[in-house]
Amino acid sequence: MNAKIKGVAAGVALTAMSASAAMAEDLVIFWAEWDPANFLQELVNEYEAETGISVTVETTPWSDFQTKAFTEFNARGSAYDMIVGDSQWLGAASEGGHYVDLTDFFAEHNVGEIMAPATVKYYAEYPGNSGKFWAIPAEGDAVGWSYRKDWFEDPDEMAAFKDKYGYDLAAPTTWAELRDIAEFFHRPDEDRYGVAIYTDNSYDALVMGVENAIFSYGGELGDFETYQVDGILNSAENVAALEAYKELYSFTPPGWAKTFFVENNQAITEGLAAMSMNYFAFFPALLNPATNPHAENTGFFANPAGPTGAQHAALGGQGISIVSYSDNIDESYKFLEWFIQEDVQKRWAELGGYTAHAATLESEEFRNATPYNEAFYQTMFKVKDFWAVPEFAELLTAANQRLYPFIVGDEGTAQETLDALAADWNETFQRYGRQ
Amino acid sequence: MSAVRTPREVLLNRVAVVAVFVALFIMLAPIYWIASTSFKPRNLATTVPPTILFEPTVAPYVKTFVKRSQLRGPVEEEVYEAAPWWEQLVLDGGEKVVRSPSGEVKPSGYGQRFMNSLIVAVVSTIFAVSMGTLTAYGFSRFKVAGKDDWLFFILSTRMLPPVVVAIPMFLMYRVVGLNDTHLGLIILYTAFNLSFSVWIMKGFIDEIPREYEEAALVDGYTRMQAFFKIVLPEAMTGIAATAVFCFITAWNEYAFALIMTNRNAQTAPPFIPSQIGSGLPDWTVIAASTVLFLIPVAIFTFLLRNHLLRGMSFGAIRK
Amino acid sequence: MTDSVMTRLDPNSRAAARGWSDLTIRNLFIIPTIAFLIIFNIFPLLYSLGYSFTDFRASTNAPAKFIGLQNYRELLNDEFIWRNFTITAKYVIVSVAGQVIVGFGLAMLLNRDIPMKGLITTLLLLPMMLSMAVVGLFWKLLYDPSFGIINYALGLGKFEWLADPDMALYAIAITDIWMWSPFVMLLSLAGLSAVPKHLYEAAEIDRAGPFYTFFRITLPLVLPILMIAIIFRTMEAFKTFDLAYIMASQPTTELISIRLYKMAFLEWQTGKSSAFAYIVLVMVVAITNIYVKYLNKVKER
Repeated sequence: MNAKIKGVAAGVALTAMSASAAMAEDLVIFWAEWDPANFLQELVNEYEAETGISVTVETTPWSDFQTKAFTEFNARGSAYDMIVGDSQWLGAASEGGHYVDLTDFFAEHNVGEIMAPATVKYYAEYPGNSGKFWAIPAEGDAVGWSYRKDWFEDPDEMAAFKDKYGYDLAAPTTWAELRDIAEFFHRPDEDRYGVAIYTDNSYDALVMGVENAIFSYGGELGDFETYQVDGILNSAENVAALEAYKELYSFTPPGWAKTFFVENNQAITEGLAAMSMNYFAFFPALLNPATNPHAENTGFFANPAGPTGAQHAALGGQGISIVSYSDNIDESYKFLEWFIQEDVQKRWAELGGYTAHAATLESEEFRNATPYNEAFYQTMFKVKDFWAVPEFAELLTAANQRLYPFIVGDEGTAQETLDALAADWNETFQRYGRQ
Repeated sequence: MSAVRTPREVLLNRVAVVAVFVALFIMLAPIYWIASTSFKPRNLATTVPPTILFEPTVAPYVKTFVKRSQLRGPVEEEVYEAAPWWEQLVLDGGEKVVRSPSGEVKPSGYGQRFMNSLIVAVVSTIFAVSMGTLTAYGFSRFKVAGKDDWLFFILSTRMLPPVVVAIPMFLMYRVVGLNDTHLGLIILYTAFNLSFSVWIMKGFIDEIPREYEEAALVDGYTRMQAFFKIVLPEAMTGIAATAVFCFITAWNEYAFALIMTNRNAQTAPPFIPSQIGSGLPDWTVIAASTVLFLIPVAIFTFLLRNHLLRGMSFGAIRK
Repeated sequence: MTDSVMTRLDPNSRAAARGWSDLTIRNLFIIPTIAFLIIFNIFPLLYSLGYSFTDFRASTNAPAKFIGLQNYRELLNDEFIWRNFTITAKYVIVSVAGQVIVGFGLAMLLNRDIPMKGLITTLLLLPMMLSMAVVGLFWKLLYDPSFGIINYALGLGKFEWLADPDMALYAIAITDIWMWSPFVMLLSLAGLSAVPKHLYEAAEIDRAGPFYTFFRITLPLVLPILMIAIIFRTMEAFKTFDLAYIMASQPTTELISIRLYKMAFLEWQTGKSSAFAYIVLVMVVAITNIYVKYLNKVKER
């Protein structure tokens, strides 16, 4: 087989070329480019101080994160020892053999008890309720909202709002209020807009935005046990939720058609929008007067409840997994043992990371550490997530293809959109023999 | 133009001069704007109307090389005072510099990517241009059965979207272990620049009178000597022009670099957009990395500018 | 042109006996390139041809299953994919036409007596030296209705360049035109400077109008080099990925490359995307073939 000969030849050349780049550090963790990754770098520096083993957190933009991670997995690459991967990757990464099975590690160190229940369920276990674990919950996250307190507390605005809607202007507790407030502050001629929401369809931003509405309206994406979507995905609740999300789009700043966390934070710092949806992990930049001129006047609230009183939010956040192709699996285990210790988790939270460690989360200290930690703490018990099956990327593409034209392009109706999406998903599930 | 100019000619020429300067302004405005952004403090990058006069800062150039972390509030006075000037610039922007336990500054990775770009672009350009020149000479001077078909075949290798090639290349590289290596990228870039190089160089070598070589052969040169001592010097202009184009393409290539490389061999183009920042957009850092990344290619082009203009004219026009 | 040196040199002469034979040199010069391109372009394609008939996914360890023409059938029946093709065609036509008009126009202007011509020409080349990804990123900001300077400079208020599904593709094409017109300009300039001056003088003596001069003298003589510029720009525009991927994510800007990228590297449908790649390949080769035939005809005139 001449592939072997070529392999040897290429291998020789390759060693010659990459020898210089090889292993300047001992462990490499791969994550997306955002604040928590930088906080994690600070945390692992302390591991280096203790053990002498250096750890590097390598990042890539969110839009390429999934591609880059799976390209590396599928190339059986050993560039990364550990990866802080999205919850929806669990199916693909565990069935593909990319993640090391951590079930024994979980049992040995009682991880299932130490970490908050929702984070174990969504970040670590696959398939659901199977008792098999693939990741250590590392960064808990969910969607929350920031808003302009000074606009909300302006007496003139408060009076005008009360006149128009018949109730007091305050941080919304329901989606109906959210909609009213967005409409109220939407004043294009004053360069002020109602609300900033996620609309980017290159990865999962738009879908997670819509999920916030769907989950709070009491809807579901489907039955995760039986893979049934008909009547669930296109239910009356979901149609209403999707219509609500689309209506919010009409209160966004101009050009709000490819937006994710960066743009949504910018909507607040640049004084564009009254309210802005974002993951809690992106809020630190809003607290600092050096990065947010309105830092003093920025408030936060949890994703509001829907018409039935149900209140949920889309899950973000990730668990940390060991890559099967790593050359340092034993070292990685040792690192994880260090990582799950209580004082390390406390330190992680201090640095700005969102610990999933139950005891730390519940501590007064954590809940009062920032103006939004309390909202975060409460939200983490009400999170729901996207499908985690290996074919999740196809489900996601279909969702983007159906939802985006409806919300941004104003094509079709909510019912038609969800019916079409349900048909797409049925087809995908049938192809993989799930239904 | 003829020596005697009519008043109409003179007027037309004036209009042309004005039009050229207007066009130059339009073409360069975005580049000026990128360059000026690279010296702005972060909050001035997105003002409308744009800020023209501002106190320039090199903070973006510092930030582009170091790993930073968002601060939730102002840093303590004594920490700030103890920091070197460049670190203070980062602290002013609400971020801190990430250091290793021993106090060394963690690099952002841009420097390494920049070096990768240099290695990959320079080596692949040398390969593409030298192989392309030889092949062009072969096609220009010798009889080759099915010459046009071969040339079309060579051209066709450039037609494919990188993504089309990337799928099988990725699978092949996986077998031989070339994913995420400099060599892997060099091969890819050589392959897709080769067609361009052959086509341009063939047009150019066709124009060099073959009498030159024949005279040399009669004078006792071997064919190889004639090629190296007569043809190559004559072709230098074309080689320079081809090299500029191959270098520009390899230097800026994005799709292959995104798909086929990770942390060992990744070049700068897929990395620069990741500098946008984590919580808030920081256009100044991207602008600074862009400006730095433009410098090598601009210098290269500027040095070879005379060849570029002449080279292109020889390449494709038959007498 | 047609009879090579080889045939003119006496094969028994001393010149031909010295060193390597012409045949050896020819093979030495040509075969490595052809072999290189076969190994790194044709071989991978054959490799993926096999996969295009399977349901292979590079993301799993499951073996590939032969499914015949199913991938092709599904693709050709997929409404979204036909839309990708129409969008790409529209994009290629708009952006290449724009580049030819702007680039050739600039070349015509520069072909006159312009002060500092060399410097200006070099400066005009700056846009094409930037990385497409970076250009996409910055133009996205330039187009932004709230923070961008384009609307401010043109007084367009809150015009939504990239958020408007009908406008977005043209906005991307404008960026592409800005970036690549200099390429067309450079080649056209070379073509123009090669037009013999005496032809213009003759036309002037014949009192030919400017239109006659342009269409009968300038254009035919510049056409061969302009065609080469068009071939390369068409191929590049057809392949556009980074620019559009970064600037907008409208369904109306989803070019073939983007769809293919998603299918292959987001969804990891390796088999199906190989089939898609083949459909694209056949189309591009056909289009380029027509172009090259036409180019050869132009050259012969």
